[in-house]
Amino acid sequence: MFAIDAHDVTKTFRSGWLRRRETAALRGVSLTVPRGAIFGLLGPNGAGKTTLLSILSTLLTPDAGSARVLGLDVRRDASALRRRLNMASGRPSFLWSLRVGEIVALYGRLYGLHGRALRRKVDELVELYELVPYRRVPYSELSTGLKQRVALAKSLVNDPELLFLDEPTLGLDPDVSVRVRQHIARLRRERGITIVLTTHYMREAEELCDEVAFIKGGLILARGTPAELKRQIRLGEVIALKLDPPAVPWLAEAPGVLRCVEEDGWIECTVDEAEKRLPEILRALHADGVVVRNVQVHEPELEEVFVELAK
Amino acid sequence: MSWRSEVLAVWAIVVRNALMASRNVFFFFELLFWPIVGVVSIGLMARFLGLTPEQASFVLIGTIALSVVNVCQLEVAYAVLLDVWSKSLKHQFLAPMGIHHLTLGSWLVGMVRGLLIFGLLAALGWWAFDFRVLAPGPVAVATFLAGCFLNAWIVGVAVCALITLFGNRAEAFAWSSVNLVLVLAGIYYPVSVLPEPVAALAAAIPLTYFLDAYRAHFGFAQEFRAPVATGLALSALYALLAHWAFWAAVQRARRTGLLLKMSE
Repeated sequence: MFAIDAHDVTKTFRSGWLRRRETAALRGVSLTVPRGAIFGLLGPNGAGKTTLLSILSTLLTPDAGSARVLGLDVRRDASALRRRLNMASGRPSFLWSLRVGEIVALYGRLYGLHGRALRRKVDELVELYELVPYRRVPYSELSTGLKQRVALAKSLVNDPELLFLDEPTLGLDPDVSVRVRQHIARLRRERGITIVLTTHYMREAEELCDEVAFIKGGLILARGTPAELKRQIRLGEVIALKLDPPAVPWLAEAPGVLRCVEEDGWIECTVDEAEKRLPEILRALHADGVVVRNVQVHEPELEEVFVELAK
Repeated sequence: MSWRSEVLAVWAIVVRNALMASRNVFFFFELLFWPIVGVVSIGLMARFLGLTPEQASFVLIGTIALSVVNVCQLEVAYAVLLDVWSKSLKHQFLAPMGIHHLTLGSWLVGMVRGLLIFGLLAALGWWAFDFRVLAPGPVAVATFLAGCFLNAWIVGVAVCALITLFGNRAEAFAWSSVNLVLVLAGIYYPVSVLPEPVAALAAAIPLTYFLDAYRAHFGFAQEFRAPVATGLALSALYALLAHWAFWAAVQRARRTGLLLKMSE
């Protein structure tokens, strides 16, 4: 069963009164996300990530195509669907003079909570996001990180089955980002929530997501697990070597080596297949009298896949 | 949606608007400063011009109506404006609520603020100018206030529709549209003094009828037959139209992406 099942979704934004301008934000996106997964949408600015998220969360109506979320049609069943999903954005904004506890309570009431159940939910979320000392602080006086936490607290007020996170760690300090990521992983683990997130941070996608899709120009260019994508793009694997002497000119020409770069005293050779090439390279280096001081093998970063696809 | 959810969603907006109102200096000016300045200046002008007590009561009724309608209408417009200013509109429309929750909740707060102003201005008018606005009795006062509040609701919802349709550029409507309506409804003069085509417009405004009915209690001849019934019928029609317009504007904003743009 899919949490999201979208087919050929298109969206074009039109602006200007006299000179009409049209921007195709989505050009036939099809996407399925299994229930309980953490799914990442990656892509450069203006790729269509937020547009897709907004359509799936019923904030935006698609021009064409179909999208079913939690088994409900985003157009026909929008009001029923809104009860079962929620969203937090990396650029959160709430009413400036409401206090932290009041913001969570406001949305709690809108989702049908009241009395003791509402108080309990507000307490739980304020505690969960370590907002207890800020409970009575007006939203306008909070730091970016705290605002983000308020947004995350608000997004859980209705115990959603599906949570959309638009750049959830944007502009956060590294330590806060780590905590937010840990929390996102915990949400899926403990509550079984399906999470769809957009991010610019490849490490975040790699760490959190079961699957990712790359969007560019309103089209999904590739999707799969991070490992599958790396294989799909055929970026190869990286053998990093620390050698004495440090420069070995023939290494870049060795069989199976796609390219070599020198960085911080390491020579990083991208090869077609590390398992096969590493013994060959080590044998050749030994025969040439080169001392191998250290060796590491790793897959390319997801970021490299992103750069390759974004070209 | 169950009745309890309906009431809770309206209550959420009531609490939201009341909290925002209680923490903003701007609201203080709307609630006290401008209405008092209005009644004092009009009362003094009436004294300077040597108006009879009946003539003075005619214009003071208009001034009080202006303040009550204005503050209540603004509160209804805040249903959308507060979220536009704080860029939180998308959270509002992501939640499972209808536009009627927004407009009803903010209208309830607007009515409380309107009642406070009415009480304050009634006391001020009595103390400063010996004008007894409550003299026609509770039924007449309640009908007059109901007319003011209904008009405020309609104009406020129409403003919400305009803002949702045109974005921040339409903010000025929140302060200007009600004044146009009030000028046409004859706040300081009988609508019979308006030129013919404008008088026809005035006859299409519900407040015209409620002012006419209330002024009749102060000895002025009624210009319309069954003014309260006509005012109520027109109010019901316009309230439906204004809500339809707001609903259509929200649907359009979801199509054009304006809902998201106003949240960035």
